[in-house]
Amino acid sequence: MSSFGAIDKILEKLENCLVPTEKEIQFVCLKARQIFLKEGNTIFLKAPITICGDVHGQFWDLKELFEIGGKPPGTSYLFMGDFVDRGYYSIETFLLLLTLKVRYPDKITLIRGNHESRQITQVYGFYDECMKKFGNSSVWRYCTELFDYLSLSAIVENKIFCVHGGLSPKIDTLNQIRLIDRKTEVPHEGPMCDLLWSDPDEKTASWELNPRGAGFFFGKTVVEEFQKVNNLELIARAHQLCQDGFQYSFDKKLVTVWSAPNYFYRCANSASVMKVDSELNHSFKVFDAAPQEKRNVKLRRTTSMYFL
Amino acid sequence: MLWSNNDQNDNKRAETKKTDKLYSIAVLLEELKSEDLHIRLCSIQKISVIALAVGHVRTRTELIPFLSEITDEEDEITLVLAEELGKFVDFVGGNEYSHTILPPLTKLARAEETVVREKSVESIKIISKAMDKNQIQTYLFPVIKDLANGKWFSSRSSACGLFSICYKSVDKSSKEELLLLFRELCNDKTPMVRREAAKELAELAPIVEEENLKKIIIPLLIQLSEDEQDSVRILTIDNCISVSKLINKDEFITYIIPTLQNCAADRSWRVRHLVANKFYQVSESVDPEIVKENLLEIFIDLLSDNEEEVRVSGTARISDFSKQIKEYQETISDVIFPIIEQLSQDSSKKVKVSLASVITLMAPIIGNQMSIEKLIPICLDLLQQDISEVKLSIISKLESLSKVVSEEILINTLLPVLIDLIKDPKWRVRCAVVDYIPKLGIQLGVDFFNEKIIELYITWLQDAIFKIRETAAKNLIQLTKEFGSDWCTYNLLPHIFKLLKNPNYKIKQIAMYSLSLLAPELEIDIISDKMIPKLTVLQNNKTPNVKLYLAKCLHELIPYTEETNIQEEIIPCLTDLLNDDDQDVSTFAKIALDEIN
Repeated sequence: MSSFGAIDKILEKLENCLVPTEKEIQFVCLKARQIFLKEGNTIFLKAPITICGDVHGQFWDLKELFEIGGKPPGTSYLFMGDFVDRGYYSIETFLLLLTLKVRYPDKITLIRGNHESRQITQVYGFYDECMKKFGNSSVWRYCTELFDYLSLSAIVENKIFCVHGGLSPKIDTLNQIRLIDRKTEVPHEGPMCDLLWSDPDEKTASWELNPRGAGFFFGKTVVEEFQKVNNLELIARAHQLCQDGFQYSFDKKLVTVWSAPNYFYRCANSASVMKVDSELNHSFKVFDAAPQEKRNVKLRRTTSMYFL
Repeated sequence: MLWSNNDQNDNKRAETKKTDKLYSIAVLLEELKSEDLHIRLCSIQKISVIALAVGHVRTRTELIPFLSEITDEEDEITLVLAEELGKFVDFVGGNEYSHTILPPLTKLARAEETVVREKSVESIKIISKAMDKNQIQTYLFPVIKDLANGKWFSSRSSACGLFSICYKSVDKSSKEELLLLFRELCNDKTPMVRREAAKELAELAPIVEEENLKKIIIPLLIQLSEDEQDSVRILTIDNCISVSKLINKDEFITYIIPTLQNCAADRSWRVRHLVANKFYQVSESVDPEIVKENLLEIFIDLLSDNEEEVRVSGTARISDFSKQIKEYQETISDVIFPIIEQLSQDSSKKVKVSLASVITLMAPIIGNQMSIEKLIPICLDLLQQDISEVKLSIISKLESLSKVVSEEILINTLLPVLIDLIKDPKWRVRCAVVDYIPKLGIQLGVDFFNEKIIELYITWLQDAIFKIRETAAKNLIQLTKEFGSDWCTYNLLPHIFKLLKNPNYKIKQIAMYSLSLLAPELEIDIISDKMIPKLTVLQNNKTPNVKLYLAKCLHELIPYTEETNIQEEIIPCLTDLLNDDDQDVSTFAKIALDEIN
């Protein structure tokens, strides 16, 4: 409780898209780790809750998301991974979510996406951003070490199963997820990898190789079986871009939620969040990228008009 | 001398350990000689500390000369040095010694790096304010001559910035010399120098004698307005603005109008762009008659310019310009409004957005009748063009319009359009309408609000978008302040209490938020007897998000509730919440209980 003062200060910085100091980031990561340690591989959540997909470092669009859905702790949230890479503000975005988690642990839940990995972040921007903003790799190290502690999945009221990628041929029951030792870098194969990398595919019967090179394609029969065995109503996941913000598959047995509008600042897609009410009815709020005036232009320099 | 050469430093350091002050100076000075740029930078930033410590005399006789030596340094160092020297007047012993700071600054004013030069000139300007006429004549004037005759363009550029601070304080022959020098600089072979001279012209114009203004300054203005470099020509408009304030009507027509005509038709769009932006400032300095007869057509041409950016820039100034010819209502109607109509159909979206940001500001200038006949149709057309930035701009500035036109028009024309926009697909547009309607409601009066708006307003408190709900809730305060706490109690609260029972937890939340915002405006017995009981029942709600809002809400209401209710209802409720399983509910309850105790 006493440390909320420090946390609130960091939170205020982050709300304004200011990068916290290295020490502050270390502090938040430490606090977050203590919380994640207590969470199982599948986190049990209650409705009402708002479920979100990839945000990929698009800070101002995350702010837009909060303007539309309300902020924690007033609204409870689940973010299904892929907080970093591609956007210009991976650090601010991830740290904002993390600090909110530390501040309101019961009101916001973060699970791991395939980009929460040392290998991937070195290719797709998070590492470079840390080097640029701090001049060294410490922050990247703190964060990637923390990623190892993120849970792999969540389930809302025992009915809506949420995971970043999709299903695994090695996992038939939710109980089997418990057996995974998740505190490791995302493996190249195996159940933990599949959960974060797999994709649904309408043309697939059951399992097929995934062209991404990790995880599998899974089809309708697999989904129906999984739902039946585990008594589920819906599978919610992210991981794939949706032009309209969300996309149902397999007769609405599965839904992809995507929360990064105008992805990579070029795809011109809408984003969405899925609201689940106390009766487990779900609906989507679709939104577009925050307008230009709302986006911080820290990067702008006063350049003189002429070379003189 | 403490800082003459390295050999003596060891001996000196032993001596100086005796006194802390001198010891720290020695350290600082050592740092100034360090190989590491960062260390040198840190110590140069503390140069004022050294000056303060060694005192006036030694600052003048030793520190300043030393600083003059280190002017061949890295740009980061010299930049800080240039800035710090500007603060040195007190350190050298006050105004009478302020000229002693000139030598190092003069050297810095010759620097190759632009920012260092500019900072030095700035600092020279600062210290010159502390100089009397004698000092300026004796010390500053030679510096300017020296710089102006410098071999490199850098020193000549710096010289340009110093004319206006010097001119008034020198004798007649020096003034003549200065003007001759200035003319030379305006004719300099390098455009950078001519550009600086052109900048200085605006400063110099108000200072010189009338005779010199006409003989020298105005011809130079015209000459520079025809310079081959657009970076020089672009400064014409500022110079015209400055000079216009100083001359009479005929002179304006003879000299300035042709110049303005030329730069409004300049071949470089950047020049025309700036002219369009600042044109109204010229019109502020002259009679409305001249504006109407001579300046109006130039402005209209700019508004029809081929280049999009020029039209955008000019459009943003339509209301500023029109203010200057307020007395010529017919002209506004016959000349300006056709152009406005044209712009509202412009092919460029940017132009329309620019128009939307100023169009409603025309209303106070033209009055009720013309607003109804000319302005409103254009506004309505723009609103229907389905460009969300346009809609946002107009809606957020509707107050200027609504204050001018009659109630009837507001009700019959504006309101239906706004109600329509409430269904706009862009949530920001809807939010802007929600934000504006209370202002309109206040204008139209409480009866109208109750009859036509309140039901709609309550639906906005239930909008799917959080920000819209929040905006609607926040504006309730303004409405209550205007219409009174009785109105709120009898017309608003019943609706909000109903929302408290809505099955959707978000609606409950916004209802609680609204109540906490309204509490300061309401009677204490209403809060105690009516509000509190309806709130405390929520303690049994299943959703923790609701309960934590409840704790927060009760916390806000405590100062406005009667003691008995606090003891009998609020405290038990909060105590119950304190023991809730949910950590956040418990925390907010604790904060509230702590406040009571």
